[in-house]
Amino acid sequence: MSNREKLRDLLLEVLLLSDEEFSFDLNREQVETWDSLAVVAIAAGVDETFGYHFTPDEAVGITGVNDIIRVLEREGISFAEA
Amino acid sequence: MTLSGYLSEKESALQKHEQWERRWELTQLKSVKLDAPHIIASNSVRSIVSTQLSWPFIDLGAIPLGTETLVVVGGGSLIDRVKIFRKNDWPALKVVAIPSIWGSGAEVSPVAVMNGHVKDIQFSEDLIPDRYVIWPELARGAPFDLLRFACGDVCAHALEAFTSPLATPQIRRQAAALLNEIAEYPLGFDDRWFDASSAACLLQARSSVGLIHGFAHVLEPKLRSSNLAANWGHAKLCSVFLLPVLRFNLSTSSRVQKLAVEFGLDLEKVLATASALFLPEEYSAAMAEAERNWEGIARDPCSRTNCVLVRRDSVEFFRKFRGAGVPT
Repeated sequence: MSNREKLRDLLLEVLLLSDEEFSFDLNREQVETWDSLAVVAIAAGVDETFGYHFTPDEAVGITGVNDIIRVLEREGISFAEA
Repeated sequence: MTLSGYLSEKESALQKHEQWERRWELTQLKSVKLDAPHIIASNSVRSIVSTQLSWPFIDLGAIPLGTETLVVVGGGSLIDRVKIFRKNDWPALKVVAIPSIWGSGAEVSPVAVMNGHVKDIQFSEDLIPDRYVIWPELARGAPFDLLRFACGDVCAHALEAFTSPLATPQIRRQAAALLNEIAEYPLGFDDRWFDASSAACLLQARSSVGLIHGFAHVLEPKLRSSNLAANWGHAKLCSVFLLPVLRFNLSTSSRVQKLAVEFGLDLEKVLATASALFLPEEYSAAMAEAERNWEGIARDPCSRTNCVLVRRDSVEFFRKFRGAGVPT
């Protein structure tokens, strides 16, 4: 499973989205379930899935899926499409 | 509310209310002059309270006009009811909380839980009692199981504060030290549990709780209504689910293990305590209800701040869990 697929699965789980509702361009304002508790759950899931623990500033600063990818790529985790 | 707002509200509440400044012994309570005091006490402790305190007893639904101080003596539910009453209906009322048993930490907590069909959890610094009193004799005659489950409640608060994704390094240091200490306490009457309970509660209020409390909050009202004889309560559920959830967290991610090493938590001791509290038959009975309500447990606000992501298929782990080690 690629890192993009892992991240998509994680966000479907945390945000209770269907495959059709998800896109990598999603941001918090578009998703009702992306509240502050979801931020915590995403941080726990990212740690579990990618082995990186967001700093509090990073967690609070995430406004969309692309922000998560940006932080993780900065840590050397690739999200390049195959 | 934003995550940063959520954190700052919790932290500010505690900076204003250091528990030791508000802590009294019974002798201090008896020696101060309280303004127009009345007592609300649960039935189980009313007679012992009346031997030490001479103020009039009243019911929460019939507080006389002119009452300025309410001394509430009882378990977490009663103290929480008074805290919410003061916040919503009588903000000028001074509240002195005396827990009849350790566990909830309601006497120091900015959190109050209302037990209804579902749990209603409120957070506000206005909920913190003005004073609390440690009176160990109140718990001395409590049934052994009640005391034991109360120990599990304290352990669950301290452990989930330690593992919380919202915990600061300072909270983790304090929680690790507390967990190492209470691992040496007997799982029964010991007056040190009262202060441990207050400390554990304050730590979780500054961070969050996790899946143990997700299970407890969803299952308590359902198990209580379906199986009155088993006496299911919050503390019993925390005791029973302490070991399974700790094992789940350890088997799903290396996070807890890493934190334990970093902050000096003796995980083996915690696992030994959790194993001693685990009750296989009660766990099986509770899991039957948990499987029917898994969606609610996984989506409970407490579960969403668990240190490991709780997924729809995580129920499989708990279905197979039998008590020792990790299910295969």
